[in-house]
Amino acid sequence: MANNELLKQLVKELATRVNGEVEESFGVLVIKVKAPYIIETLTAAREFAEVPCDFLHDLCGLDLVEHFEVVYQLSSLRGTQKLRVKAILDRENPVVASVTRLWQGANFLEREAYDMFGIIFNGHPNLKRIYMWDDFEGYPLRKDYVTEPIEVRNIMRTRIEGE
Amino acid sequence: MIIDDTEELILNMGPQHPSMHGLFRMVVHLQGETVTKIIPKIGYLHRGMEKLAESRTYSQFIPYTDRLDYLASPHNNWAYVQTVEKLMGVEIPERAEYLRVIFGELARIASHQVCIASTALDMAGWSAWSYAFRDRERICDMFEMTAGSRLTVNIMRIGGISAEPPAEFWPALKSFLDDTPEMLEEYYGIFFGNEIVQGRLKNVGILSKELAENLSITGPVLRASGVNYDVRKAEPYSIYDRFDFDVPVRTGCDSYDRTIIRMDEIAESIKIIKQAVRDIPAGPIMAKVPRVIKPPAGEVYHRVENPKGELGFYIVSDGTTKPARVRIRPATFINLQMLPIVALGWKIQDVVAIFATLDAVLGEVDK
Amino acid sequence: MDVSLEKRMRDDEALMEKNFVVGNLDSLLNWARGHSFWPVTLGLACCAIEMMATGGPRYDISRFGWEVFRASPRQADVMIVAGTCTRKMAPLLRRIYDQMPEPKWVIAMGSCANAGGPFVDSYAMMAGVDKVVPVDVYIPGCPPRPESLLYGLLQLQYKVSNPAKVRLMRHGK
Repeated sequence: MANNELLKQLVKELATRVNGEVEESFGVLVIKVKAPYIIETLTAAREFAEVPCDFLHDLCGLDLVEHFEVVYQLSSLRGTQKLRVKAILDRENPVVASVTRLWQGANFLEREAYDMFGIIFNGHPNLKRIYMWDDFEGYPLRKDYVTEPIEVRNIMRTRIEGE
Repeated sequence: MIIDDTEELILNMGPQHPSMHGLFRMVVHLQGETVTKIIPKIGYLHRGMEKLAESRTYSQFIPYTDRLDYLASPHNNWAYVQTVEKLMGVEIPERAEYLRVIFGELARIASHQVCIASTALDMAGWSAWSYAFRDRERICDMFEMTAGSRLTVNIMRIGGISAEPPAEFWPALKSFLDDTPEMLEEYYGIFFGNEIVQGRLKNVGILSKELAENLSITGPVLRASGVNYDVRKAEPYSIYDRFDFDVPVRTGCDSYDRTIIRMDEIAESIKIIKQAVRDIPAGPIMAKVPRVIKPPAGEVYHRVENPKGELGFYIVSDGTTKPARVRIRPATFINLQMLPIVALGWKIQDVVAIFATLDAVLGEVDK
Repeated sequence: MDVSLEKRMRDDEALMEKNFVVGNLDSLLNWARGHSFWPVTLGLACCAIEMMATGGPRYDISRFGWEVFRASPRQADVMIVAGTCTRKMAPLLRRIYDQMPEPKWVIAMGSCANAGGPFVDSYAMMAGVDKVVPVDVYIPGCPPRPESLLYGLLQLQYKVSNPAKVRLMRHGK
């Protein structure tokens, strides 16, 4: 558990640098930062001495009604350290920097968060809808999204040329 | 005569295509027969599971997890119910843990058999396909006699397991385990030993270790690139710390290793099941859980080793009977990102082989 | 089909019981069609695995002469819609149906293809494949067992080889 203490200390130091809050939930450290600090936080977490959280396990959006969050689950292939980083986004203007430059694997995950929540990832190479078709309107996983009635959904959409 | 500059051809493969494992579609740019660019298009099976979870109770969502990775449905149940149990702090009985391991590992074997079968089928090898499907039926039978369904098993419950296996389950399991060495021998003989298969898979589609880590790839695909990482060993969940097994690692990084590593995993699963059958205690199979599942407010992330990679569930609870958010981290959705990078420069038929070795299940990719 | 034709076909069957075969070319063709369906491989989701199992060694669909799964819709005459048809997929499914040559039939396999199944209230789903293509046989189940698929195909075979009877059945006589 020495590693865990070390990680806790490093995360606390990092939190003071980026104005973040540290919590603990079910044995996992959670650090919450404002969206502009996200690249700095993740770059630092990736290069922690001895306990690098260098494997992007998951990235997802979260709708908390007042604001959005982007949740990054970090872990490592060379240790048991785990860290959850949350970026707090404004609901009216959900913009956050893309992490595809740090992890190429974030490509699809960010496209999914854009598709489902409408979160804009600045610097993403190809930010398009991934699950829904291009003409689809609305962001389904937002809490205020109203599912269309079955009569509307039963009308076949027009095929996009090339499909 | 060598034609060094031809007009670019854009080929649209899928969604209805025999080698696309469901509804995957890719737009392939070709220079002659050489691939210059691949644009993967997914979402043709997107059913909106995460949104549906928000309007279901915790127990009602268990059958939906079956339809994620339908080749190994007990694993998805397992990941989900373990996440909810972690959130509620439920301890489940010993016997249920052992039964979960047995069913999980049987599902892993069935899933890997389908992977071998479909890889063979994508390279037009019908005989290997029928051998693997013949053996898979025996696992389906065992699921059926316990849970009542063959494919979408839905056997796990929050707090334990739904049914005690009947008396005829144990002899069927024993005879299956006894036959597996011969089974694996057959697969080696008919599929992996085949010269054409080796020619088409060996040294094709190299995925380096660094790229695999950078792309967040998990599971057999990662281990075939020489990374020794398995959640069952690194962070043992359930009772995996009690079993003696190895994590198969291969260093070839090519399509052949990505396929044959699944044979090694079948052998390891057999070892685990044998130990579980030996050690299984008697006792109840359900813990005492409240009739209405109402976890405290909080959030939890839990992951398990699915046959395809790491399956994670991130559940945010607001203290009501329905989850506020269920995030599914599908393994093959993320593994799929290697295709446009790794398949560049290979011929069109190699792209099909590389895609087959990923063992993508579109139910899991599209959710 | 008029009443006199239906009467004649029933007379034919009465003759057949006395070991006489009196037929027209149409019934011969229908007999041939019903005993050699060429299904198009349209595996959409979970049901596709059961469709593959039906083709596999245990259930062996080739006992009935329907094992020729074609990858191209231009060579097929039965479309087994095995799995979930989402709104994104619907126009492409219709396109595959349009590409099939006549005569053609559709089997909706599984709850999702029948009526939307467990996902019916999702934003990405339509309630059943019959909103897109005309369906001949519905097979319930989630997923249906291979025996169910075989039974569904047998029903379709009956429908194809006895157009008169099916017509009578539909009108409830």
